[in-house]
Amino acid sequence: MNTTLLTILIISLSIFAFYYAVYKIKSAQSLNTKHRPLHSYYGWYCLFWTIFPALLFFCLWTFCSSIWIDKTIINIITLSINEEGATNISLQLNAIKNAANGILTDQVPKEILSNYISLNQKSEFIRFIATLGIAIIGLFFLIRKINPDLRARNKIESILMVLMFIASFIAIIVTLGIVLSLLFETLKFFSDVSPFEFFFGTTWSPQIALREDQVAASGSFGAIPVFTGTLLITIIAMCVAIPIGLLAAIYLAEYASQRTRTIVKPLLEILAGIPTVVYGFFAALTVGPFIRNIGETFGLSIASESALAAGLVMGIMIIPFISSLSDDVISAVPNSLREGSYGLGATKYETIILVIFPAALPGIIGSILLATSRAIGETMIVVMAAGLTAKLTANPLESVTTVTVQIVTLLIGDHEFDSSKTMAAFALGLTLFIITLILNVIALKVVLKYREKYE
Amino acid sequence: MNRILSKSQNIENSTNKRHRKEKRFKSLCLGAVIVAILFLIILLSSLAYKGLSGFTKTTIQIPIYFNEEIIDPENTRDIAVINKASFRKIFKQSLLQKFPEAKDNRKMYRNISKIFSRGSTYLLKKMVLDDISLIGKTINVDLISSSTIDQLRKNNINIKVPESDRPVSDATLKIYDQLNTEGVIKKRLNFSFFKYGDSRNPEEAGILGALLGSMFTLIITLLLSFPIGVLTAIYLEEFAPKNKFTYFIEININNLAAVPSIVFGLLGLAIFLNFFGLPRSVPLTGGLVLTLMTLPTVIISSRASLKAVPPTIREAALGLGASKLQAVFNHVVPSAAPGMFTGTIIGMARALGETAPLLLMGMVAFIVEVPTSIFDPATVLPAQIYLWADSPERGFVEKTSAAIIVLVLFLIIMNSLAIWLRRKFEVRW
Amino acid sequence: MKKLIILCAIVFMFSFTSHARNQISVVGSSTVYPFSTVVAENFGRDTGMKTPKIESTGSGGGMKLFCAGLGVNHPDITNSSRRIKKSELEKCSKAGIEVVEIKVGYDGIVIANSKKSEKFNLSKRDIFLALAKDVPEGNAEGGKLIPNPNKTWKEVNSNLPDIKIEVLGPPPTSGTRDAFNELAIEGGCKTFPNLKAIKKEDKKKYKAICRAVREDGVYIEAGENDNLIVQKLAENKNALGVFGFSFLAENEDKIQGSNIDGNEPTFENIASKAYPVSRPLYFYIKNAHVDVIPGIREFVEAYTSDDAFGPDGYLSERGLIPMPDEEREFFRKSGQEMIILDKL
Repeated sequence: MNTTLLTILIISLSIFAFYYAVYKIKSAQSLNTKHRPLHSYYGWYCLFWTIFPALLFFCLWTFCSSIWIDKTIINIITLSINEEGATNISLQLNAIKNAANGILTDQVPKEILSNYISLNQKSEFIRFIATLGIAIIGLFFLIRKINPDLRARNKIESILMVLMFIASFIAIIVTLGIVLSLLFETLKFFSDVSPFEFFFGTTWSPQIALREDQVAASGSFGAIPVFTGTLLITIIAMCVAIPIGLLAAIYLAEYASQRTRTIVKPLLEILAGIPTVVYGFFAALTVGPFIRNIGETFGLSIASESALAAGLVMGIMIIPFISSLSDDVISAVPNSLREGSYGLGATKYETIILVIFPAALPGIIGSILLATSRAIGETMIVVMAAGLTAKLTANPLESVTTVTVQIVTLLIGDHEFDSSKTMAAFALGLTLFIITLILNVIALKVVLKYREKYE
Repeated sequence: MNRILSKSQNIENSTNKRHRKEKRFKSLCLGAVIVAILFLIILLSSLAYKGLSGFTKTTIQIPIYFNEEIIDPENTRDIAVINKASFRKIFKQSLLQKFPEAKDNRKMYRNISKIFSRGSTYLLKKMVLDDISLIGKTINVDLISSSTIDQLRKNNINIKVPESDRPVSDATLKIYDQLNTEGVIKKRLNFSFFKYGDSRNPEEAGILGALLGSMFTLIITLLLSFPIGVLTAIYLEEFAPKNKFTYFIEININNLAAVPSIVFGLLGLAIFLNFFGLPRSVPLTGGLVLTLMTLPTVIISSRASLKAVPPTIREAALGLGASKLQAVFNHVVPSAAPGMFTGTIIGMARALGETAPLLLMGMVAFIVEVPTSIFDPATVLPAQIYLWADSPERGFVEKTSAAIIVLVLFLIIMNSLAIWLRRKFEVRW
Repeated sequence: MKKLIILCAIVFMFSFTSHARNQISVVGSSTVYPFSTVVAENFGRDTGMKTPKIESTGSGGGMKLFCAGLGVNHPDITNSSRRIKKSELEKCSKAGIEVVEIKVGYDGIVIANSKKSEKFNLSKRDIFLALAKDVPEGNAEGGKLIPNPNKTWKEVNSNLPDIKIEVLGPPPTSGTRDAFNELAIEGGCKTFPNLKAIKKEDKKKYKAICRAVREDGVYIEAGENDNLIVQKLAENKNALGVFGFSFLAENEDKIQGSNIDGNEPTFENIASKAYPVSRPLYFYIKNAHVDVIPGIREFVEAYTSDDAFGPDGYLSERGLIPMPDEEREFFRKSGQEMIILDKL
């Protein structure tokens, strides 16, 4: 209740701050016609200083006071009922919190409970008053400062810069976090299985002892068949997705009427959002047997689990990655280029191939890379339609498996989770990461070489 | 003269050729669009074919006597008393009234009770708790049939195979036929599918818990990944110095999209659950992990669309005296907005369909209570689909498809919002 | 300024940490999941307490979460389709966790094929010869071990039909596969005296021979979605599939279970152990959480009542094979008194 009321109050205060600041600067300006600053910057500036300190205080207080209350209660608990033995303190605390919410467990002593409740109420009361107070102080302080000499735009810009910096900081931290976590676990794995076996072995069979009495069928961790399987399925998928996606993008951007485009583009995007379980069932129960039947009429013996079925269906799934993103990029090519080309007598086809395509190349390559990444990362379709058997083959009609599938099955299987062999998952992940990294670098180089930068 | 004629003829020929090429290319492009849409239609119609029956249920109307002596013998009308009463007895009594021949025949009684949902007694209890005046009356109640009977009515069970091989016995079948001729078996829309959370009985299972779970999770994801992703893209593209470090970061971010999603789950487990101690299985943490996963997609597509904005726009803005930030935020970003929205749509669509990272955050779970905030334990739609698809009970097959239909509808609604935004901002030069 | 905002973000994250829990949290095996959820749902309805939250994480992942520590952020119970390992128990006790073990019953593992083709009558020896990586030359006793050359069932045993061997089964990371290897394939292996003799000399070599499954595409690792295997079997009448008994029970109009050593995979046969391939299912309770997280005692009581895991209980309707009477009594008592598992 308290927080809802507080939120409403703060929001209304900030709206007031915005409009009052704009109003004030407008009236100040009419006196001094020399400056013509943009009004809304003052509003935003004022709004920021109303909300931000209050929010910061709110979070800080919630954080510190909850820790402080927990500490106090834990002290009381350890003083009074520790004789019972080594029951966990955090569990005791939980019992008290539950009791405060009305779920009575007999173990909770009354005085501690009432102590907890009163502490909590006090803390919330102070939080309410102080947050509101800080917001009001910020508001008044800022409104007094507002005059045309205040460089509000510069201030807002520096706030924006800070925000952007933080956002990039988060993105970079996430990136580094992923890479480092992969790296550490991989090192653990390589202390158990030699990197030589991993990179050059040709059998993949991660058999790990499930129980103590079991002498482990040692298991082999040669990653080559897993990677060739990934390559095979990805290539098949891209053979479906690149032509269809790219041609569809060109049609939407260059030929279709605005109306068709606004309808068709989102329709295609649905393809990317259909859950992969559906594609998995489609691949396993419709496409797989279909391919097998065709093969039988030609006298070929095909397993119902084949890389072809999985790859084809995966290709369908990633069409929108290419079609939508490429369409955006092609549409963003300046019209002057098109008109120039038409003016020289080129047909639409020639314009598209010779002018627009090179101009849009970086974006198109980007979309293809994104689609490839998605294909590599897909698990469900492969599990359902291509199986999990790691086989070293280039025949699309046989059953293969991919890196990500192996990672997922290793991590959610019934194995002991920390066994260093389960860490094979991370070694696979890191190797995949490095391979795609190299692909990315090559793609960037290609783009730099062939890109036509106009203007 | 002749030479000129042949030249113009040549040109005409080559023009014709060029135009034919143009036409071929256009129809090829159109073909690609049609093929893609055809796939969509096939997938959606097979879904509808399998899943639509999941939105109906079978009810059987029988008179139920809410015996006061069993429910509330002392006439207290106290909720605690009613809560403790044995509604199993009420149910049994009423069934025996309807089928007197099953009185001393335990096997037959079992066959009869198998026609009704396992949750029937709880339904009766709920009815009385909602309306105390029912006590002592006999009324006709539409009880939900068991999943097997529901499947039987939908012709999903092959009754031609020998009795031992099918889930319904001959005796049950006979009672079913008898009830059917009485006309008390009805087909209804299954509204409770949208009103309740998960259940292990297919006929009672609902989608609301997972739907709200997905919604809360995606709201968190959107609120975090869109601003962070777009701001990062702007910073890296427009402001960051171009040096080895930013190049390294750029390539790495591009590469993140290829990291299997479960790895993001592991990172989330380490950071959010183990380090920050956030609660398990709640949409808040789920949303945070999906943010990690969606960020690269948003960043990559936003950067691509920022790159596509012609430099003239920037230069013109700067030339008119705008600050660098004004040029970027007031002129470049609005032009790049459609691409940013597209990236976000695709990223969110992927987040909506993702289960692997959420598995590690505890969101692939059996949760009956419907979540009311981002701090309540919840599951998400794809996790619910995954769990249902893996259940042995036959009735979950159509529930799985029905849940998928709900997911796709959810996706369409989400996308149409974003598309409306995209259209608002699109510019062509 | 920058630092200030970063600080703010971190504080914001932390401000959600303090949080009470009044719901039982269960993690673990996807095989036990269908049974625990039924108990949980009935428990929630009967007692009016919050229905326990049950995650399906796999036995290994469940154990890891379970043994990570005490407190509200850690689960109270973990399901497992295998017994806890010594190393896991040690990790638990290092974290100060006392574990109570409850066995809930058995899960039968069946080999089935489509109703459209004829029912298989297999012996363990046939299974070994059809699926093992290396078999004795000429399928005869005393033969030299060679990579499995058998392509059709008829080559394995002249009484079996002349169709290609094609078996869809779980991957090596699955507990079902492990149990199948141990009970069916190793069981067949033991029928060869010379192979059995290796056990005494070199245990490791013996396991390597008797547990290894061929990887030439005859045995297809089909993932853990048993429903999909059932549907694939219905489509492909030559294939056989390996999966849990409950999926056979639900789909008996489409598929049929093969006899093993002359015994049909029926509920009664698995319960009496006449049908040889089944594995035990467990769950483990954190003793320190009992009476602190509301409902754990009652939940365990509901699970171990005859109404649930007894021979006529509602879990048997879902395909759980009940334990014999004394064993049930034993585990019911461990649940009531929370007898701590200190040694394996």
